[in-house]
Amino acid sequence: MELEGALGTFYAESQELLESMEDALLRLDSGEYDSDVLNEIFRSAHTIKGSAGIFGLDHIVEFTHVVENILDRARDDEIRLEEELLNIIFKCRDHIAELINHDLEAFNDSPNLAQTGKQLLDGLIPWFKSNDADIHEKKIVDKVGLETEGATGDWHLSLRLSKDCLRNGMDPISFLNYLSSIGELRQIITLEDSLPDIEEFDAETLYLGYEISLQSNSSREEIENTFTFVREDSEIRIIPPNSTIEEYIALIEALPEDDKRIGEILVGCGAISSETLCKALQVQENETKSSNQSRKIGEVLVESSGLPEKVVNAAAEKQEDTKERKKPSSQLIRIDADRLDHLINLIGELVINRQRVNLLAGETRHESLIEAVGDLENFTEQLRDAALNLRMVQIGSTFQKFKRIVRDTAQELGKDINLILEGTETELDRLMVEKLGDPLTHIIRNAIDHGIEAKEQRLANGKSETGTIKMAAFHEAGSIVIEVSDDGGGIAPEKIRAKAVIKEIISEDANLSDQELLHLVFHPGFSTAESVTNLSGRGVGMDVVKRNVEALQGTIDINSKVGFGTRFQIRLPLTLAIIDGFHVQSGNTHFIVPQSSVVECTDLGSHEKMENRNCINVRGEMIPFIKLGDVFKISPSEGETASYLYREGKSASSHTENLVIARYGEFTAGIVADQLHGEIQTVVKPLGPIFKPLRGIGGSTLLGNGEIAFILDIPQLIESVISNEGTTFTVNE
Amino acid sequence: MSKDSSPDRSIDEPKNRRQFLTFCLNNEYFGMELHQTREILEYSDVTDVPLMPGFMSGVINLRGEVVPVIDLAIRLGRDPIKLHKRTCIVIIELHSYEQKHVLGLLVDSVSEVVELDTSDVEEAPAFGANIRAEFILGIAKKEEQFVILLDAEKTLSPIELASLVEAEFQATED
Repeated sequence: MELEGALGTFYAESQELLESMEDALLRLDSGEYDSDVLNEIFRSAHTIKGSAGIFGLDHIVEFTHVVENILDRARDDEIRLEEELLNIIFKCRDHIAELINHDLEAFNDSPNLAQTGKQLLDGLIPWFKSNDADIHEKKIVDKVGLETEGATGDWHLSLRLSKDCLRNGMDPISFLNYLSSIGELRQIITLEDSLPDIEEFDAETLYLGYEISLQSNSSREEIENTFTFVREDSEIRIIPPNSTIEEYIALIEALPEDDKRIGEILVGCGAISSETLCKALQVQENETKSSNQSRKIGEVLVESSGLPEKVVNAAAEKQEDTKERKKPSSQLIRIDADRLDHLINLIGELVINRQRVNLLAGETRHESLIEAVGDLENFTEQLRDAALNLRMVQIGSTFQKFKRIVRDTAQELGKDINLILEGTETELDRLMVEKLGDPLTHIIRNAIDHGIEAKEQRLANGKSETGTIKMAAFHEAGSIVIEVSDDGGGIAPEKIRAKAVIKEIISEDANLSDQELLHLVFHPGFSTAESVTNLSGRGVGMDVVKRNVEALQGTIDINSKVGFGTRFQIRLPLTLAIIDGFHVQSGNTHFIVPQSSVVECTDLGSHEKMENRNCINVRGEMIPFIKLGDVFKISPSEGETASYLYREGKSASSHTENLVIARYGEFTAGIVADQLHGEIQTVVKPLGPIFKPLRGIGGSTLLGNGEIAFILDIPQLIESVISNEGTTFTVNE
Repeated sequence: MSKDSSPDRSIDEPKNRRQFLTFCLNNEYFGMELHQTREILEYSDVTDVPLMPGFMSGVINLRGEVVPVIDLAIRLGRDPIKLHKRTCIVIIELHSYEQKHVLGLLVDSVSEVVELDTSDVEEAPAFGANIRAEFILGIAKKEEQFVILLDAEKTLSPIELASLVEAEFQATED
């Protein structure tokens, strides 16, 4: 195993541990003070320390060790992690993160870092026992490592080595050999439960698990050290000699095997002997034969062997549990993000090519070929969905990070702010999640800094002292909407106007609606903050936020009510790569209406048109319509070819106009095109920055025959029509 | 017809010699630094993009990439290019703000690659070329013909092109 690769894993893992540590600390802070949370914090620190030790990152070990001791005391209820101490622990967490970011050499070169560390540790002194005064030097023996150390008896080892063990050049036999050199192997049980069918069997994958009973005088640490090189990705559990039955129960519950037979688990644990199991199996078999009804083997075991019922029950529970509750850690693999992107790009190309094949197959009129291509189409679609799904992540983890930002920033400003998260399970493209961090941070900081008023002000306004910021995410009409709202003072349009005039963004007599004024906050070089704090208000911010969101093909909107708060709404496409669409044509120009906003297709002539208005009556609902030909000023193609939907004599106009009814948010609109071509899968090819001012077109795509079609941006299209209402689009008839 | 050109090549050559691709727009000769050009395509159908100002001819499908094509003549304030059988599209690649921009240029015909010494290149006259001075790197002489060497970054800056498009839109909206 390359050390460098392993180091990468260490960084990635530490990052996760630090995140869960922060999360747990925040939970403590919000009053969820219990041993689970404390344990989680301790475990995170402990694991980081342990892993850092393997790589000889002593600076991390030293610092974390001290922090861990404090956490251990908190775990034992000797001290409470509150207020001042909690603040220090938060900072310690950050410092550990900082240390991990710097390698050892950089650390030695950076006296500041060491200085910060020392200050933090000095700050912790009051919380140590008086006799631990010289904590910096003193090594406190790990609580975990203390148990029955050095006692003789049988250790029980439960090994589920990494599946890649063999691939990495480690042979499990060598561990067993080593174990036999530090003690006597009493019993080895090999578990082959996870062996796949022979077709799927991969000779390089390790499918076996081991349950080992070992007699040894070695310490736990020595035994653990055997597995230093395979610790990652492997599940290794060591139960010291003379452990209580509860420990075995815990082990049974922790074992990863799925449909594991209880008996084997028990034998594996050494809790019962194999003879007992055989006897029990025998009894069960006989009973099944006689009564045609199988008894749970657990019951049989209890009856026939006098085994404590507790142990059997734990195993039985485990058996029922595993089907639904799989251990997440054993289900996750890490993939290089670039490789994933590459895969998705390839699938994008496949989608395009498939359409081409489809087209060509259609031309041949070869029935079985068309059928085969149809199957291929089906399969490609699934492949595409599955691939895109790989890249979807829940927004929750992004939201979580803001808890800390809100806590720290609010504290700094002496405000009391409650952050509410909603819709954390909403999934979106990983690429977007990454690029959303900065814009959201800006918005949140603004909300804390300028949005939420000072406590006194809030009380004076008849609000509760605690301000509320809400982050919510949800799906709507094929988009993902992320909202950040606060219950602060809101933004007064007059203030924006005054500021904008001073900054010469608008002229003094500019006639702008309140909503338009609000949108000025996205103007480069605009800042409403009356005082410039170190948090925000430097005048860079909202314009960058807007740019970032637009770079993701999204839109951002602001709503604000003086005295009641402000709400930002970011609307993003579900994914950036591939979308389902409906192919329409106007003149010689091809358009794609994203399938997610399509409600139905119909033809314009079959519905009653409102006099002098671009509205039609669809089953009693008034729906305005947009003619693509008019909006995009497309001249009708010469020698109009009949579309397959062409119907004669339906309307007075020279050709049938077809209608796609699309929905965006609360708006419904009809989109009128000359021809409807049907559903199509498209790979989004972004149009460059030059085309950005082109409202209503979000991107382009290639059709099966290589022609270029434009993907309509329905929200933009509808908005631009609404804003032009009364000028171009009302008197068209 | 396409040719490879990488920026690295020019590094090996003496600094004072630069290669330019020369092409013709309505009997005027222009040059563009070779390392900015990627390939030359025969003219094939350009897809119209709705509502675009004249200099934007449309987009083409360049092996799966959608590339905007610009009528360089209009951009330089000339009459639009008339299509004929020697009309070419020169694909160029620009880098700005760490982003790669690929553009196609509609030209009447491509002539040749010339290697010019710094001393062959004269400064642009303050006026007379009938082109915004900042677009011009310099002027070279080729067989008694003047070749205007264009600064592609300035002439075809995506930001400026976008603002031209924007202006066009505002004009139609008002």
